[in-house]
Amino acid sequence: MRMRLYLAAVALVLACTGRAAAGTGKTPQYKTVEAKHFAQAEGVELDPTFGDYFYAELRQELNKAKLAKEVIGEGETVDDADAPQSIVISGTFTEYKKGSVVKSALIGFGAGFRSLKIDANVQRRSDKQNLGVMHVHVKANPRWNPETLAKFAARQLVKETKDELKKTAK
Amino acid sequence: MASSSRFTSGIFLAAFLLIFRASAAQDPKPTPGNTIKVQLGDPVAAQKFASSPKLWISEVIDRSANPQPKLVLKERGGLFLDRQPTEIVREALEQSLKAANLLAADASSADLVLKIYLFQFGLAQGSGLDFFGKVEFAAVVKNPKSGQTVEVRAAGTSIAKRAVRKKSIEKNVQDDIEESLRDALRNFLRGQQLKDAVGELGKDTGSASAVPPNA
Repeated sequence: MRMRLYLAAVALVLACTGRAAAGTGKTPQYKTVEAKHFAQAEGVELDPTFGDYFYAELRQELNKAKLAKEVIGEGETVDDADAPQSIVISGTFTEYKKGSVVKSALIGFGAGFRSLKIDANVQRRSDKQNLGVMHVHVKANPRWNPETLAKFAARQLVKETKDELKKTAK
Repeated sequence: MASSSRFTSGIFLAAFLLIFRASAAQDPKPTPGNTIKVQLGDPVAAQKFASSPKLWISEVIDRSANPQPKLVLKERGGLFLDRQPTEIVREALEQSLKAANLLAADASSADLVLKIYLFQFGLAQGSGLDFFGKVEFAAVVKNPKSGQTVEVRAAGTSIAKRAVRKKSIEKNVQDDIEESLRDALRNFLRGQQLKDAVGELGKDTGSASAVPPNA
């Protein structure tokens, strides 16, 4: 019994130190981040309002993530001095599947879910250098509003952007 | 006996449901209790232009095709704006231009005249889990001397949490619309499109290209 407790304590300490080590790779703080409206690939049948909602969600998630001091709107000017410390996120909705309520109800286990695939990249504003490429794939229940996919996708995209920027900074 | 009483109660229930549905289907009316006052608050900082042109807003036209532009939310007894969206946008834009010293005293002294077409003001379709505020407009920037025009588009969005209590709904919707208005004005006044338009039209008025704000 004592031995088991001792082993559990050692495992806990190891896990904590591992987490701490992983946390040292900090995401660099940028001056501004601009999110663009994402384009739709050929064959993707998404409502035009979906793009606007996704754009709003993405900006909100970027604000929450504190990736930059300021999250600016599409097409806003940035001071030349701040341009090297500014990034732009753009991308494309590459695939959208409406899903099927019947499949979801009869089969279950994620079958018939709505799905959305996004390819995005993050660039430095001054020299257009690519700082990372993100591929996002999210799924949601077909009974839910399609806009909920935008919510999940924006959250996932910002998380992956943060990870990519961390990798680039190393 | 039991079946007749069941039948009577069924009739009563059906009548009640019909009356309830009919009253719910009526359009909500504006009252002081369900009206919100949307205003900009602090003016939005505009980009600084090398030789600051004086702008004048000639008119703001509603192009939203919304028969009730003051109604922002239909559910829960409705939620109304205290003024027309065109008035709110004009006031907010004038306030920000004045703060940046870009507002002309009158139309005759203006270097550039703005005609605003408002496409959306209020709430748009969101996920249903929150309020999605959206303000979208296009400004036709005209040089009155040459007659040349350039179109500048701007949009602002904001997302606010849903609420259960009526007071909280009012507050969240008001904050959401104010934030999207601020975002749209910021997008317009700090946008690359306005910079390019002023640069292009300013050739005749003597205005040069713009520089972004330091703040």
